[in-house]
Amino acid sequence: MSKVKTHKVIGLRSTLLSLVLFLFFILLSNQFEPYNQSQLANIAMLLIAVLSITLLTGASGQISLGQGAIMAVGGYSSALLVTRLGLSMWLAFILAIFVSALFGLFLGLAAARLSGPYLAGTTLVMALAIPSIAVRFETFFSGDVGLSVDYGMPPEWLTKLIGEVSIEEWSLYVVLPFTAVALFAVLNLSNTRIGRTWRAVRDNEVAASLAGINIGRTKVIVFVCASGLAGLAGALYGFRGLVAPSVYPTDLSLTLLTAAVIGGLRSIGGAIFGTFVIVFLPDLIEKVTNNLAIPETVGIYLPALAIGLLLLLTVILNPRGAAGALEHLRHKKKH
Amino acid sequence: MGRASRFLGKSAVERVNAVNLRKPLILTVVASALVGSLAISSISASAASDPGVSSSEIVLGMQLPQTGAASPGYNKVDDAARAYFDYVNSKGGVNGRSIKLVVKDDTYKAGLTISTASKLINEDKIFAFFGSIGTQTHVSIIKDINRRKIPDIFVNSGYSGFYTDPKKYPTTFGGLGTYTVEAKILGKYLKEKYADKKIGILYQSDDFGRNALAGFTAAGLKFEAKKTSASFVAGTQGSIGLASQLSQLKANGVDIVIIAAVSSATAVAYATASAIAYKPTKWAVISVGADATTFQTILGSKGVPAATSAAMLAGTISASHAPAPGDATDEYVTAFKKINDDFNKGADKRWDNNVMQGMNIAYLATSALMGVGKDLTRAKLIAYLENNGSKLSSAAFAPLGYSKSTHEAFTGFWLGEYDATTLLAPIDGKRVVYTTDSGSGAVTISDYKRPAIAADALPKVA
Repeated sequence: MSKVKTHKVIGLRSTLLSLVLFLFFILLSNQFEPYNQSQLANIAMLLIAVLSITLLTGASGQISLGQGAIMAVGGYSSALLVTRLGLSMWLAFILAIFVSALFGLFLGLAAARLSGPYLAGTTLVMALAIPSIAVRFETFFSGDVGLSVDYGMPPEWLTKLIGEVSIEEWSLYVVLPFTAVALFAVLNLSNTRIGRTWRAVRDNEVAASLAGINIGRTKVIVFVCASGLAGLAGALYGFRGLVAPSVYPTDLSLTLLTAAVIGGLRSIGGAIFGTFVIVFLPDLIEKVTNNLAIPETVGIYLPALAIGLLLLLTVILNPRGAAGALEHLRHKKKH
Repeated sequence: MGRASRFLGKSAVERVNAVNLRKPLILTVVASALVGSLAISSISASAASDPGVSSSEIVLGMQLPQTGAASPGYNKVDDAARAYFDYVNSKGGVNGRSIKLVVKDDTYKAGLTISTASKLINEDKIFAFFGSIGTQTHVSIIKDINRRKIPDIFVNSGYSGFYTDPKKYPTTFGGLGTYTVEAKILGKYLKEKYADKKIGILYQSDDFGRNALAGFTAAGLKFEAKKTSASFVAGTQGSIGLASQLSQLKANGVDIVIIAAVSSATAVAYATASAIAYKPTKWAVISVGADATTFQTILGSKGVPAATSAAMLAGTISASHAPAPGDATDEYVTAFKKINDDFNKGADKRWDNNVMQGMNIAYLATSALMGVGKDLTRAKLIAYLENNGSKLSSAAFAPLGYSKSTHEAFTGFWLGEYDATTLLAPIDGKRVVYTTDSGSGAVTISDYKRPAIAADALPKVA
């Protein structure tokens, strides 16, 4: 058992870890060419969504197969604010958090009554239904064509400060502060009283309610927090170029869950690892298939196959994911 | 590393160190150095020319759904184009340079298209995008491609919004006639020929379907929503089906059904109509949705024998800018078919509309690259297409519409009817090519004479 930490220690630790993540990404991006910089930016934004699953499923035990749909809510709200009202992108990102948190509130009110496969089913339906709303009400949401938005060109002050910045690098710089703040928030949330309450509810609802925890309210709060995060991720993801139904397909939700499971559902470090895997593994496989001259007809199916296998093996052999395995090793060493 | 300290400012780095972050920072540096050494070493682009062109090679990039629900049929276009380029390379290439086509599978999901485009631009260092397939996926990257001034040539989408305002998208050029042009021509014919019949439409509710609907409306056809006009969300034809839409058209007594949807939806529509015993007098299908091979393959996967699906398609009216793939008398068909047999290394090289389209745009791209000459740059290719594109010939019976005011491709279509052998044969046995624009221009008969193909099937450009 780890020692109980004071708020001050937790706060300092969260700040330091978020800063380390920030610096790690910056240093890594300096080693990379533009394409991998854009992949790094993808990791930074998808990580926020995976963290929302770490909170929701890992910390509070509620399954969601629809985080991609909440990303769409964030994406559409920010894109509409920018294209229709002319708001600044930065403000739109922050407002997107509130819009999707509000959405999460309504979802949470319904979801708090459901659990297990019923909750999974409901959220999956949401993942299927939300993107098609954009097509049904096409005059408002622009249908399939979607809303064209981007991060814009790197500002002059930045290029003056650090020299030429590629479009890919700029996207990373836009996303990274949000990722660091999201990580800070999640670290704080899960290590303080509120996180302990969530875990108590996850592990035993009866025991938790006997300890005076309001189960329903706790579940709704998790949904609100997780939706805010997913919404922010969706807004950042949409500003890569387009907010449209085909940007937030159902398999996006499943990919995010895969990342969380591979890394370890209950671990924040695992979320980071899992996100790296889902973004970089397909590239790695492509490189290997190119080098081995595997025919294209086989090669194009390999990334999905590999990630699927990895997911299956994780669930069967190592349900606690990479983070769980690491902890197990550490534990073994100690004894 | 240097960039990072510059980015943070020296004092900021010191401050971070002061908070006793030394250990994690060291770890971070070691980790990033490790990752960095694994990362691909940087290749500095030669300053003189644009990326993707060397003295021996021109690299083109293409994105399309190679896998997934939207891939049937379209996943043959890249192999066909590559076959033609390989043929050109076997004859010495273009001005001594061979053409390399790099293909990325975006599974028809725009989120992935953005990543694969970045890969093509930054890792494969392509000279130009060529023949990318898919309207909704292309929307996600067209702005970015244009602001980077990368040529985006022969896009396999008939969406007029990409081409009719070159100021907005100066580097994008079409590879299909627009849906509006085709629908205007088809609509005018149907309106005159079937003046006494009730004409209805089934369209997919995306830009493709709406673009076509606009064309049919411009031709004077009138549809009543929820009665003679039925729509569905693109991509749902396989899962939800089209039963309610076809029942609606049947209940409203529609005699002539127009379909503005992809081939897989056309197949589902025909199968559904037959299941509910709905027999409209005529089907009229917009060309991208009327590929016979895709139609038969999809119905075949549902257990419909080829003879039955051929009989279902027989009598369907459609349009085309190019010769019918089954037209053995056409010199372009013969020449391209031979190259396809000899050079296509794709999984499915069966000769059809998709293969011919891939070959034809590869032929056109080769012409353009030849036309620019030895000193090939991105800007020169764009200028060449704008100034000379309309003079380039191909298998199409209509010229490219490229000019300074529009970048839309084939400006004309001929109308045909599928016969019992799934061959699109000209209506009344005589091919008449009609021409119009994506705006309010009238539909007229084209007087364009297609130049003959050279004996070696290579473009001859001055």
